[in-house]
Amino acid sequence: MQRLRPGPVAAVGAIALLALLVPLFGLDNPLHMDIAHRLARPTLAHPLGQDAYGRDVLSRLLWGARVSLAVASSSSLLACLFGTALGLAGGFLRGPVEFVALRGMDVVLCFPPLLLALLVVTLLGPGAATLIPVLAVLYLPGFVRVVYAGVLSVRNQDYVEAMRSLGAGRLRIMLGTILPNVGGPVLVQLSLAAASAVVLESGLSFLGLGVVPPAPSWGLMIGEARATMLQAPLLLLWPCLALSVTILALNALCDALRDAVDPHGITRGRRRAALLERLAPGLLPQPGPALELVGLTIAIDTPAGPIHPVRDVSLRVMPHETLALVGESGSGKSLTGLATMGLLPPVARVAGGAAWIDGRDVLRLDEAALRRLRGATVAMIFQDPLSSLNPVQRIATQIGEAIEAHGASGARAAWRRAVELLRHVGIPDPERRAHNFPHEMSGGMRQRAMIAMAIANQPRLLIADEPTTALDVTIQAQVLDLLATLRRESGMALVFITHSLPVVAEIADRVAVMYAGEIVEQGRVAEVFARPLHPYTAALLASVPREDASLPEPIPGTVPPPYALPPGCAFAPRCRLARADCASGTLPLTEVMAERLTRCRRWSELA
Amino acid sequence: MVALSRREWLIGAAALPALAETARAAPADTLRFGLSSYPPSLQPWANTGTAALTVKTLLHRGLLMFGTDGKVKGALASSWARDGKNGWSFKLRDALFHNGQKVTAEDVKWSLEQIMAPTSTAYLRGQFQAIASIEAPDAKTVRILMKQPTVTLPLMLATPFAPVIAKGSLNAAGGIGAGPYTLTAQERGVSLSFAAFAKFYEPGHPKLRAIHMPVYADENARVAALQSGDVDMIEYVPWQAMAGIQKNPKLVLNTVDGPYMALAFNGGTGPFKDERLRQAVAHAIRREEIVAAAFFGRGTVLEGLPITKSSEFYDPKYAHGWNYDPKLAKQLMAAAGVPNGFDCTLLSTAQYGMHLATAQVVQQHLAAIGIKVKLDLPDWATRVAMGNRGQYEFCVQGQTADNNDPDGLSAYIDGTLPPDNARSYHLPTPEIHKLLAEGRAEFDPAKRRAIYDELQRVAIKVVPLAALCWRAQGYAMTKNVHGFTNMPGGLNFYSGYSLENVYFG
Amino acid sequence: MLFVLKRIGVSVLLVWVVATIVFLAIRMVPGDPAAILLSQGGVAPDPAAVAALRVQLGLNQPLGLQYVEDMRRLLVGNLGQSLQDQTPVAGEILRRLPRTLELIGAAAVLAVLVGLPAGLVAAMRRGGTFDRIASWLAAAALAVPVFVVGTLMVAIFAQGLHWAPAGGYVSFARHPLRHLVLLAMPAATIAVGLAAILFRMTRAAVLDVSMRDYIRTARAKGVAPRRILARHVLRNALMPIVTVLALNLGSLLGGTVLVEYVFNWPGLSGLLVDAVNARDYPEVQGVVLVISVLFVALNLVVDLLYALLDPRVRHG
Repeated sequence: MQRLRPGPVAAVGAIALLALLVPLFGLDNPLHMDIAHRLARPTLAHPLGQDAYGRDVLSRLLWGARVSLAVASSSSLLACLFGTALGLAGGFLRGPVEFVALRGMDVVLCFPPLLLALLVVTLLGPGAATLIPVLAVLYLPGFVRVVYAGVLSVRNQDYVEAMRSLGAGRLRIMLGTILPNVGGPVLVQLSLAAASAVVLESGLSFLGLGVVPPAPSWGLMIGEARATMLQAPLLLLWPCLALSVTILALNALCDALRDAVDPHGITRGRRRAALLERLAPGLLPQPGPALELVGLTIAIDTPAGPIHPVRDVSLRVMPHETLALVGESGSGKSLTGLATMGLLPPVARVAGGAAWIDGRDVLRLDEAALRRLRGATVAMIFQDPLSSLNPVQRIATQIGEAIEAHGASGARAAWRRAVELLRHVGIPDPERRAHNFPHEMSGGMRQRAMIAMAIANQPRLLIADEPTTALDVTIQAQVLDLLATLRRESGMALVFITHSLPVVAEIADRVAVMYAGEIVEQGRVAEVFARPLHPYTAALLASVPREDASLPEPIPGTVPPPYALPPGCAFAPRCRLARADCASGTLPLTEVMAERLTRCRRWSELA
Repeated sequence: MVALSRREWLIGAAALPALAETARAAPADTLRFGLSSYPPSLQPWANTGTAALTVKTLLHRGLLMFGTDGKVKGALASSWARDGKNGWSFKLRDALFHNGQKVTAEDVKWSLEQIMAPTSTAYLRGQFQAIASIEAPDAKTVRILMKQPTVTLPLMLATPFAPVIAKGSLNAAGGIGAGPYTLTAQERGVSLSFAAFAKFYEPGHPKLRAIHMPVYADENARVAALQSGDVDMIEYVPWQAMAGIQKNPKLVLNTVDGPYMALAFNGGTGPFKDERLRQAVAHAIRREEIVAAAFFGRGTVLEGLPITKSSEFYDPKYAHGWNYDPKLAKQLMAAAGVPNGFDCTLLSTAQYGMHLATAQVVQQHLAAIGIKVKLDLPDWATRVAMGNRGQYEFCVQGQTADNNDPDGLSAYIDGTLPPDNARSYHLPTPEIHKLLAEGRAEFDPAKRRAIYDELQRVAIKVVPLAALCWRAQGYAMTKNVHGFTNMPGGLNFYSGYSLENVYFG
Repeated sequence: MLFVLKRIGVSVLLVWVVATIVFLAIRMVPGDPAAILLSQGGVAPDPAAVAALRVQLGLNQPLGLQYVEDMRRLLVGNLGQSLQDQTPVAGEILRRLPRTLELIGAAAVLAVLVGLPAGLVAAMRRGGTFDRIASWLAAAALAVPVFVVGTLMVAIFAQGLHWAPAGGYVSFARHPLRHLVLLAMPAATIAVGLAAILFRMTRAAVLDVSMRDYIRTARAKGVAPRRILARHVLRNALMPIVTVLALNLGSLLGGTVLVEYVFNWPGLSGLLVDAVNARDYPEVQGVVLVISVLFVALNLVVDLLYALLDPRVRHG
């Protein structure tokens, strides 16, 4: 969960506060008539003028805010609550619940709002208290539909299935996994409902089905101003303006809420290359390597200033070589991979360094050049193949797209090539499978398809971001084999991002260990595993379950977040070798032995 | 959204101006009259609203009608006279129905008997129960015998509620009439079209060859249609638009005080059983504020029974019997044992702005003397039902007398009649009932005047309804429309009678 | 086949439930059709006349009997006659329905043409100038009631510039060009609010989809942005947009009253309101029934669209 942006919250809060504090403002009595001055223009005593009964418009506007906002918020919240519950229950429990939830809403929708309002009002009598259930019922179907549609689209996803098979309670599945996924549309619906509640209130009040005059409400004010809208248009303007501003604030709040609960955690931001870096680009590339990162630093701008989840990362991968990038979650390894592809989320930007591929610094390429590079020279596969594949496109189409994006071949040729690729990555009966949609394939097959997509244009560099994490162990081994074979055949370089040391041992030639945004150790896998030169590497190795059944030793504490890095060595607070001087000064990554780099002062104590 | 309207604008700019002109150009002898609602039914004798009345004044004529001077004049009857103590006789002129048949005494007798019939839904059904018999001694003479002397029969027959249609021609769509126009086309809810009846009894009438009546239920749409030239004339001009129409050099506004607003009371239960509290309410309201708030100043304060100033029965002595006097109101409340006021509920409707506005001003003014009023504002249909069932303590009424004779107020002030939405509920008024009956039977003008003077005195005390104000009823038309008469007071809704005189000049 | 049969069965059940609720509800609401018909204009009808009319209209029969009779009539497809002037309800609805459908259809086309691209652009340039201006406009469009938009249009184009008639209706057959001119303003008025809703939904859905992993995959493949938008983002974003559009179109079936009034457009909503105000029971029932049948049909179309848009629904 991200932090909520303060602006919209403040705006909505201010409106609510204003409404709450109205009695303290010492305004005119909103009910006091002064018919001698009806429709009077604004004066000092009545800054917004007087209405058709000579009542003070400002006072009515502010007092009306209380009624209107109370009605709008409670009715839309009520509808949201019940609608979401019904939609969730209908979509997830299916069967009779689904039938009742959906058809019940159909019945509601079949009734024109006026008729519905009339029925409820005759039962409960007119007034704000009646308006709330009327409006809630009117908005209920919207929420049910949106939530239901959302549930439909996620209920068959692997993780939901997985949780179900793990025996998670249905309620927990609904609340924990589905709700965040449908949160976005629901919040939009909420803001729409709240806004139209006030507008509808005007219509219903006009028909005598809403707030009872002379009590002020925005809807009533709009309704009353209608008769004189050509004589005194300002009377209409004020409540409409108040309403617009409220809607805008609500919309902004909903946007912010959406961002905050969004599982993808991406917030607003702008991509900006630091000026200095642009003027002083990184060092010239060494010839040969498939990828050379030099001093890569990634920044995320926050209200409290930039934070740096990746700092000064330098590494080199040669053709035919597999480099594993290892670290706990939050260490910055995935961001490093994404930066290399030019796929950083909008919130993050490259703050320094260079990434040389094919003699070009990809960090300084424009989007068009990057696009030509991506999928051709350098390709990437992601952790969750289901969510990474477009659910509404056939597999071969998606693979073919990668081919078409970099060649002139037509759709048919691309399809044929896609089938070949599917065969190449070991998918049985590829002609038939080519027509499948992602949800029709198993997890392992999906990842094979992803790999097929990535190697479609024989990239020189393949970045694999935790490609096996979502798979079970047998499938995992098969996919690793496949990747190893492909690399051998094609001579491409492979950057393998993972948190799993056994996987590293199996696939990689060299390993770079990341901690809190920095590389802390680098070297050949066999050497590093045999003799780690950084306490973190040692601790990581010790935390892996071993074949000799000795107990793994978990590392105490957690990775510090990028906004709260300790001074000096970032690992010092968790390090059993730490001494006082570890918590100060900067620590460079130093080559202490041949092809062995570490960022520890006490590496020799480990040796 | 801006882009959208701009696009509309551009598409429109190419085609519209020329088109709008051609589409609008109507033949010079066709009047385009914007109706305020589509007549829900054209049953000849039932009251189905003002729009229906206007249409019926085109299609039908009865024995008598109201002239532009507000006086009763002959229609299908060329002359009429009292016939014996209880009777009236009518001489028919040579008139034809729209199907070409002659209008005979038999048709008249049959039509009037339909109004009296036990299954009748006619507006005058109740009043026609005073008829003993109808005779047709010859094809040109009709005699109506009343159960007792009735001076007001011609007034009843002159309303558009008693048209004569060809015997046996009644059907769901109406009946065959003898009015100045025939119905040539109708599209339910949209419009009605009429053509002049060439064989109308009055030579040279109607003056226009055709009338087209599109319906504009929304008042702003109606005004917009007039101002943009879609129609030549509209009825029921909304009060807020009157000033704008007066300022428009191409248009003429024609207003008279017609209907009136009032408060009716529940005399069966609640505080207003006590006539002193009814009086207190009648004295506590500053009526010019209702005129201002509900009718944009287009109306006249009314502090006595709704009898127009032009009426011979108007008496300045009683015309201000319910003058604004909050001190007196407080004294009356003290006398009734509630010096500090009380709580009560006022029934009105939110569907019609004038009812709502009147209720809000009344609420405000009564609060000033300590009466806390809660407003009950259902939709109109519910309001009618609650009125009929007496589910109120007092209620806002907007109504029109049946004619400008004090007898035309019977339905609204005679609480002895069976309970009804139009008058105070369970508020028996034996004195008023008696005086109204006497007035109806009295043929001597001086004695009638005395009777109605007494009636006004009693009404001021009993308060069968607390009248509030006359409201101006407006027609608006383009400058070249001539010959229309907007009739005052109780005759206002019969103004359609004068459409036969309308011409373009 | 079984699926279709089941669907039809459910639909019939739905329509029956609606018919029953309407029958009961409209009679539960106070107001007597006979009394209202005869007390137009605030005059006092004779109570005996009202009673006579009630007998004529069959309103004095026991409720159960009326219900059985109503349902029997509906079974043979007879919607009955208006209580006001004995016009057959079915004929009146047939006359009015195409006008309302036309109005809604035209408004929907306009709204989609404006709202969808605007939402798309706003989402792509999130936080940019266009996004901000469009969001403001959408909020204003949602805040301003249709009658204000409509009245302003009439004031400007009809009363001010005299470019178009202030309102009214002419059938297409009689005067095609004028028909379209008269259609333009009310359709545009409805479209304003609808476009704002579509804008909001499109913007949200596109933002939502563009954060999905598969969009990142497409970018990683080097697919051109325009193609990503067309093939990946829009396609996936359409489902919620279609849901919201259908929902709003459905509610417009009985909800264009104010626009119909302002532009004097004789559509179905106006008929419904007039019928409710007059407590014209057969007319109210007929209109609501037709609306619910249409709604069921609309639902079917949406379901088919879902299947077209999302293979998971097709197979699931």
